Amino acid sequence: MPLYICNARKGTLDEASRASIAEAITNIHCSVTGAPADFVHAVFFEDAPQFPLEDKTLFVRGTIRKGRTDEQKDQIAGLIRAALAEHGDTDAQETNALIRETPASWVLEGGEIMPEPGEEAEWFAAQEARRAGEGSHH
Amino acid sequence: MINCTCIVQEGQTPDLRKGEMLNLLNRFASASFGQEAQTAWVPVAPGHGFTAGKPSTSSVVSITSNEPLNPERRESLLRELVALWTDETGCTVDEVVAVISDPTTQR
Repeated sequence: MPLYICNARKGTLDEASRASIAEAITNIHCSVTGAPADFVHAVFFEDAPQFPLEDKTLFVRGTIRKGRTDEQKDQIAGLIRAALAEHGDTDAQETNALIRETPASWVLEGGEIMPEPGEEAEWFAAQEARRAGEGSHH
Repeated sequence: MINCTCIVQEGQTPDLRKGEMLNLLNRFASASFGQEAQTAWVPVAPGHGFTAGKPSTSSVVSITSNEPLNPERRESLLRELVALWTDETGCTVDEVVAVISDPTTQR
C-alpha cells in the first residue's frame, strides 16, 4: 500500500507506456508524501468493469494510507493525470485520477501491519531482520 | 455476503487453484463474519503489475467486514488470511497484501 489501479481503454497503453506510468506514479507518490518506493504498487487493466472508465480513456484509482492532507491528495491526483496524459499520449481531459484512504492498521503487507505515515523506518528494520532470519535458515 | 476482491498475478495462482481459493475465502468469511464471501477475482496480466516502478508479483486480497473490528481482532484475521493465502498459493508473505476494511467507510 499504496495501491494504484490504472484502467485504460483497450489499446491505449503498450508495455513501455505502462512501465513509464508505473515509474511516474511511484515518483509522484514518494515525492509528495515522503513514503518509500517499495510500498508503491501499480497494476494495469484494459476495459475492466470493476474500475469504470465512464467517459475517460485512462483512469487511476489510488488507495493510500490515511493521514495525508487534502492538499497532498489533490496534488497526487493532478500530477498523475498529467503523467497519464504524457505517457499515454492522451489529452488531459481524457484522464481521471481519484485518491481514497485506508487506515494503515487495516493492511498487512510483508507479513506485518503497515506502519503509520512517518513511522516506516522501524517497520523496514523489522522486515530486514525477518528476511535475514529466513535467509539464515536456508 | 462479505465483499472480497482478489487482484492476482495471472500465472502465479494457477487457474486450477482459483476454485480452491474461492472456497477457502468462503470458509474464511463464514467462520470470521458469519456470511459467505462474494468474490471478484481480478487477474493481472503478465507485465501489468509493478512495485516501486519495477515488475512485481504481488497480489492483493481485500475484504470488507460486516461490522467494525477492534485492532486485535483485525490483525488476527489479517494474519489468518495471509497464512491461508500463502499456504494455498505458495506465495511468500512478501507477495501478498491483505486488507480488511470496516463497512461503509469508502466513498
